[in-house]
Amino acid sequence: MNVKCIGFLFVFIGQAYSESYNEELFIKPLATGYVYSFFQFTIIREDDSFKHSTLFPHSLGDIIDRFHVSELDVDLTSGLWRHKSWGYPAVDAPSGAEISARFHNDTQDVDQHWYGLTNALSGLLCTSLNFINSANSYESSAHRVYRYSNLPRENVCTENLTPWKKLLPCDSTRGLSSFLNSGRVHNANYHSLGIHFRPLCNAGKCKYELRLTVSLVYDSVFISFNNNYDWSLRKMFGTGLFMTCPLADYSKIYLDTSSNISVPYSISQEPDYFLKKNIAVYNLNGIFHLSAIVSRPKIVVSELRPLLYTDRFITGFGQEYGGLVTRIYNDHRSPITATVIENIPWFLPIYYHTLKVTSNGIRVTPKGLIYKPGKGRVRIYYLEIVLELAPRSVTEISVQFDYVFLKWQEYPPDANHGFYIGSAIVKATIPRHATSLTFDKSLIVDNINSTGSDYLICLKTENFIITLPTPDFSMPYNVICLACTVVALAFGPIHNITTKRLKLTTAKYVPGLASIAQKLYVLLKNIIWNRNKNNKRKAAKVKVFAHEELSYHPRLGHVSEEFMKDKVDCIK
Amino acid sequence: MEKLLFFVYSIGILIRIYLSFSDFSTSIADRVEVSTPLNSWKRVIEGVSLYNENINPYDGDLFHETPLALVFFSHLTSTLSDFYVSLVFIACDLITAFVLYYTSKIYTENLLKQQTKTKHVYNKKSKLLIPDDFSVINPFYVCSVYMLNPYTVFSCIARTTTVFNNLFLALCLYSMVKRHRLLGCLSLVLASLPTFYTFGLLAPLMISCASNDSKNKTGSFIITFLTCGTISCSLLYLCYTIMNEWTFLDSVYGFILNVRDLKPNIGLFWYFFTEMFEHFRALFVCAFQLNASVLYVIPLSIRLRHDPLLLATSLLSLTAVFKSYPSIGDVGFYLSLLPIHRHLFYFMQQAFIVSCFFVGCTVFAPTVWHLWIYSRSANANFYFGVTLAFATTQIFLITDLLFAYIKREFALKHGMKRMINGKKARLMLD
Repeated sequence: MNVKCIGFLFVFIGQAYSESYNEELFIKPLATGYVYSFFQFTIIREDDSFKHSTLFPHSLGDIIDRFHVSELDVDLTSGLWRHKSWGYPAVDAPSGAEISARFHNDTQDVDQHWYGLTNALSGLLCTSLNFINSANSYESSAHRVYRYSNLPRENVCTENLTPWKKLLPCDSTRGLSSFLNSGRVHNANYHSLGIHFRPLCNAGKCKYELRLTVSLVYDSVFISFNNNYDWSLRKMFGTGLFMTCPLADYSKIYLDTSSNISVPYSISQEPDYFLKKNIAVYNLNGIFHLSAIVSRPKIVVSELRPLLYTDRFITGFGQEYGGLVTRIYNDHRSPITATVIENIPWFLPIYYHTLKVTSNGIRVTPKGLIYKPGKGRVRIYYLEIVLELAPRSVTEISVQFDYVFLKWQEYPPDANHGFYIGSAIVKATIPRHATSLTFDKSLIVDNINSTGSDYLICLKTENFIITLPTPDFSMPYNVICLACTVVALAFGPIHNITTKRLKLTTAKYVPGLASIAQKLYVLLKNIIWNRNKNNKRKAAKVKVFAHEELSYHPRLGHVSEEFMKDKVDCIK
Repeated sequence: MEKLLFFVYSIGILIRIYLSFSDFSTSIADRVEVSTPLNSWKRVIEGVSLYNENINPYDGDLFHETPLALVFFSHLTSTLSDFYVSLVFIACDLITAFVLYYTSKIYTENLLKQQTKTKHVYNKKSKLLIPDDFSVINPFYVCSVYMLNPYTVFSCIARTTTVFNNLFLALCLYSMVKRHRLLGCLSLVLASLPTFYTFGLLAPLMISCASNDSKNKTGSFIITFLTCGTISCSLLYLCYTIMNEWTFLDSVYGFILNVRDLKPNIGLFWYFFTEMFEHFRALFVCAFQLNASVLYVIPLSIRLRHDPLLLATSLLSLTAVFKSYPSIGDVGFYLSLLPIHRHLFYFMQQAFIVSCFFVGCTVFAPTVWHLWIYSRSANANFYFGVTLAFATTQIFLITDLLFAYIKREFALKHGMKRMINGKKARLMLD
């Protein structure tokens, strides 16, 4: 009773700030026995200041206010979405962390706001978004106030899920969010957390929409224990639903039954009603459970392929020169215009003149091309290509690159694991199709009901790992010593040649250490002899003649005057 | 002798043409010893294609030639097909060999002239005397070393811009022995604008130009210096007018001086600055760059002031060892200058060791590179070891040559016999 009262109070205040909240879950059995579930928690508010709110997460509102953010997308993903067999997801996100933001048009110092935003979000979500700098983010070619970055190396785990759940009005105690147990979420083959904030403006009046999304893909064979394709909410999430969130206007579960034709299954509960014939809708208001028994647990026929999908890989061998190939498959019967955005990190310098675009093996010229060369440690290589994809064709974009040799402290720990290269982005407007799900409206129900013929998709390609050649990390002192020795090898003799003169000497040549030992010996002997005053013997001294004192004799070589005198005496 | 020379020339040309149009050319051009970030043709093409697309090539990290070179190469590649571009490189090498031939000829003739003035002093059988046939044989050797040395051949086939650089350097040396100030200054500036280090050759150029008029040496020094300064300033300004901004300075000279690209080459910089602790980096960059550019210029100019060409040779070879992005094209160039100083060979002691090491390093470098980069069974230390050995060998060669010079100088003054009062004596530096 008490809870209901408080809930009522909140709803009342919420309405005062004109905020609304909805919880939705979209479930779609995918081909090859996977089940896709997409959670969406939508908050819409009309006030553009985020100082006071009841449903809108205050911590996020502060950040949005402070950094003049007008649009924000954050995705934290683990695993790879397989477009070819799974179709399109509701939110396409590459593996790792991805963030993009648009700031208010009048923002002066966009970069500073961008770094401030990423740092704040890294604190809010416990991610490494603070590693974002100019060397891994880019500014859109069209908008000055737009920034994008991805961190493919980011590991998404429990520490991100917990703070993310705190943004929800009902936390994870009630409603659909009680399905999100970290143990189960991270058991999924693919999971992606998202925060999507954007303004919805209509005739000068704006609403602000915040969608908190989770995409999960479970392998139904793996979760069913008895090697069949049956799935249920409890098997996937570890629990059924006990209570809905009282703050939500409604909570609904949608089940896409279109695959029932190829893989028949029976559902434990009759839906409340159907949308567009094959989307079963369940209105939630209390305890709820749903399970499906798949009647033919055999090899599942693959669904219709999506119209547009991509492939990306590196070519070449060794760690000197390589190539980067992005393939775009158009399975549609008419041409599609697509924009491909490659953002390649600075340690993979690409050669623009080797850029080759082929369609079914025939070289074509792209409709539009923007290239911004990167710069070491400062800026990525940005390549934007607008292409017209011929009907039923494979378009291949290939470019060559060099492997860069980094400074030894720039390698990450476990350097031989390699460097992650983020995904390319392919944007295209494609016609509505059997595998398509549009998610451009706020609520899933509106999206299902929408009746456009074309819609925009944004595909993210695979990431890849590249192992750059490494130095020997244990060598710094040795290298410094050896290289300096070689320099000294030149400096010593040249110093001698330029500052000293050649002279003749009769002193015996004693190499290195022996000469030091001899000098010491002579010195010690001198000291001992000098102590014994009676003995006046001197240590033998070798005379070095200055050439002015000598004259040259063709037979005897250099001779001193004394020597000549002696000689003359002898002769006499 | 003319027939032999013609023979060597044609062999040199045939080798170059054959390799340029064979499949070897790309694999040679990809070698790190041949193409460095500063001289590789691939990067020139990249710069030119960016320039033609109206993208500033100096925004990127790949192009490091001067704007003058950029415009030149842009015209070259747009007017000539790939085949003719190769021929241009071969032709440049031929001209360089010719210029070096005449340089050597004039220099040896000058030496002989000087010798006849003082001939009456020497013993006729003395080994110090330069025989008359040197003026024929030396140029032939110089020319054939340049034409047939694999280092220069590879550099030409890989179409490195070192080929053009060598041409300007050869012209500079030629004008030194000809004592032609303007040509000397112009070629010196053209050679050192893209590579920076060779500006040290200003010293021998100043000395040789000053030896023309014995009255006012300081004046002559200043005139040469100012000529070079004016030409380089005006060329830099010309570069500015091409690009309309000064960013190329950082892309060319900042890149050379800060050693931003740590791709291995035959020099000492790459591994040293890969393994450098960040807070010592500035100190060692300064120390190494000073060592490569100006440290030896003044002392050697004072010591070798009577022989500007030897001074130039030793400065060129020292920079080829110590510069930040050396290639074997540079090594090949100074090696072909050695026969000019054949009268010093009698006093050189380490020729055998040095030549063995040259061969050894040339074989080992690609081998350990393959082991490191492709089969991944070796690591960076192996290649570093080879480059260290190569640098040491070259240093031995240079110091041996310099020692030979001062020994000959000594022997000219004091005779060949190393005896004092009838006893055997030895030479020492004191």
